[in-house]
Amino acid sequence: MSQSRNASLTQTNWDLIRDAAGGSPTSQSSLEQVARRCWPAIYAFIRASGRNPDEAAELTQGFLCDVFLARGLLEKADQSRGRFRTLVLGSVRNYLADMHRRKTASTRKPKSGSIGRLDDLSERTSEPAGMPALTPEAAFHARYVATIIRSSTERLQRELLADGDEAGWEIFRGRVLQPSIDGSAASYEHLAPRFGLGKGACAAKLLMVKRRFASLLMEELRATIDNPNDLQEEIADLLTLLQAR
Amino acid sequence: MTTEPDMPGHHSITSASLSDTLRWAFELDQSPALAGATWITREIIPAARDPFEAILASSTSLDALRELKNAYKMLRTSGTTAPERSLAARLYAATIAAALVRHHASISTQTPAALQRAFTDLAEDESMPERLREVATLALGIHGRG
Repeated sequence: MSQSRNASLTQTNWDLIRDAAGGSPTSQSSLEQVARRCWPAIYAFIRASGRNPDEAAELTQGFLCDVFLARGLLEKADQSRGRFRTLVLGSVRNYLADMHRRKTASTRKPKSGSIGRLDDLSERTSEPAGMPALTPEAAFHARYVATIIRSSTERLQRELLADGDEAGWEIFRGRVLQPSIDGSAASYEHLAPRFGLGKGACAAKLLMVKRRFASLLMEELRATIDNPNDLQEEIADLLTLLQAR
Repeated sequence: MTTEPDMPGHHSITSASLSDTLRWAFELDQSPALAGATWITREIIPAARDPFEAILASSTSLDALRELKNAYKMLRTSGTTAPERSLAARLYAATIAAALVRHHASISTQTPAALQRAFTDLAEDESMPERLREVATLALGIHGRG
């Protein structure tokens, strides 16, 4: 992995925000990274507020252009005001209340800079019918966590395959990911022979991979807060918020 | 149950699973030495309370002891902390001892000298449960006669 790649992975949202607001040569890239991290949760909030998928995508794009750029949210962002997650949620809630801006969403342009269309990330085609049953806040937090889990999972896959540990990835996929998606776990009897391992060795390998995933997930979560000491509190908050409906 | 379309491959993951994943990742990130061995043990014997109970239970088959041995063997070298690796080494020896005592079977290719050392260390380790140490003492007797 390159040095620049490592640097971007360990940057917190606040690091990116400071860079995005600072007018440096990397500002545009930082802005896009923040926008990409936020897009799914913002979209989920707007969608759960009763907008159809096209309106929600348009409003999300509008929010990013209007609030991130035109209103200079990033310049105004003050980490002492709280967590970035809370700041974005409050901003998008206010944005939706602004009826005039919503009506003109399709024509707005930022005063400076730009954010490319990111709604390709929304995976709207797979959006389940049950999603609108969530409150907008619950939808926001669920998608926020899902985005972090997804990012961690993709990093895990990349790293394991780069290490030549296909067995580790496949065992994790069959025993952890698949049950999360459809409730069905691949059996060790099915997985173990594929990789010339016994059931015990498979289980031990899975523990190692789960720990690696946990470490990546914690790293992703730390990137969303500025003070590492807040991690435990942030996780407790997210668990409570995920249970709220 | 509500779902979110946000996992690789455009699959949906349930909201409950998001909570579960977050919870176990956090617990795993902070788990003490015994937690890893316990987790592995339950993957092999789901009803087991902990590794000690699994190894000592009369209902644990020879095949299950062999799988437990292989799991602890890997954890002995790949555990994340020294206490975890040390515990795994003791459990590894304990599975071999239990197979010898209860099933009269050797499930190890270790040299006789290495086995004797491992059983002796387990029998003398006061941090291990008394019953596990007794199994190691019994195994030493059988091993010595063999």
